[in-house]
Amino acid sequence: MSMEYKMGLFFGVLAGALAGLLFVALMKHKKVIDCHFDERQERARGQAFKYAFFTLAVAVICYGALDTIFTLPCDTLTAVFLCFCLTMVVFAVVCIRKEAYLSLYEKPGQVMMLFGVIAAFNIGIGAIYLMEGTMVENGVLTFRACNLIVGVMMLVIMGIYALHISSSGEEEAE
Amino acid sequence: MKNLRLKAARAAKDLSQQQLAETVGVSRQTINAIEKGDYNPTIKLCLAICKALDKTLDELFWE
Repeated sequence: MSMEYKMGLFFGVLAGALAGLLFVALMKHKKVIDCHFDERQERARGQAFKYAFFTLAVAVICYGALDTIFTLPCDTLTAVFLCFCLTMVVFAVVCIRKEAYLSLYEKPGQVMMLFGVIAAFNIGIGAIYLMEGTMVENGVLTFRACNLIVGVMMLVIMGIYALHISSSGEEEAE
Repeated sequence: MKNLRLKAARAAKDLSQQQLAETVGVSRQTINAIEKGDYNPTIKLCLAICKALDKTLDELFWE
């Protein structure tokens, strides 16, 4: 990997992170994302954080051990993203099950639409990399798979949320 | 254990779970969980509910 390539990668990740931060700030400003939870939700989210933390710990240890023994066919950034996405899914599942995923003022439709856009965007980029053939190089899954992984994660979270809504039958307030 | 007294007091005031939830600043699911006995509210929330329903703590939450 040349120095130029590494610099490009570094600034690419930095630009992506900045764009992400700006996007979140804009969504917060537009009140699509809101972080006001009631006491039951805070408690449920605390439990979810606990499960997510242990999931991350186990996933990272498993990755480290497996990579040391077998040398896994994916680069470090991709593996870290996989662990991160697994953690996020665990967090989301626990929160959704305990009705604590969305805050008091968030509108499910708006949030799911936002998730859909993010998923579509990332899957689109992932598909481009896949067609270009740069996602897998020399039999190793490269960091270019991260977009696809994030896109799939968003779809999984959306699916779980939709499943929960339909299975709970939206027990109507009396 | 279900909190039927809370449910009855809310119904007497002709409030839905959603309306009570908005009054006390929590989600509808939280009110539902309290009524079903799935969640033990803090004293702060109990007091807010009591105020919203014009009841005392004893009337709604004391066994």
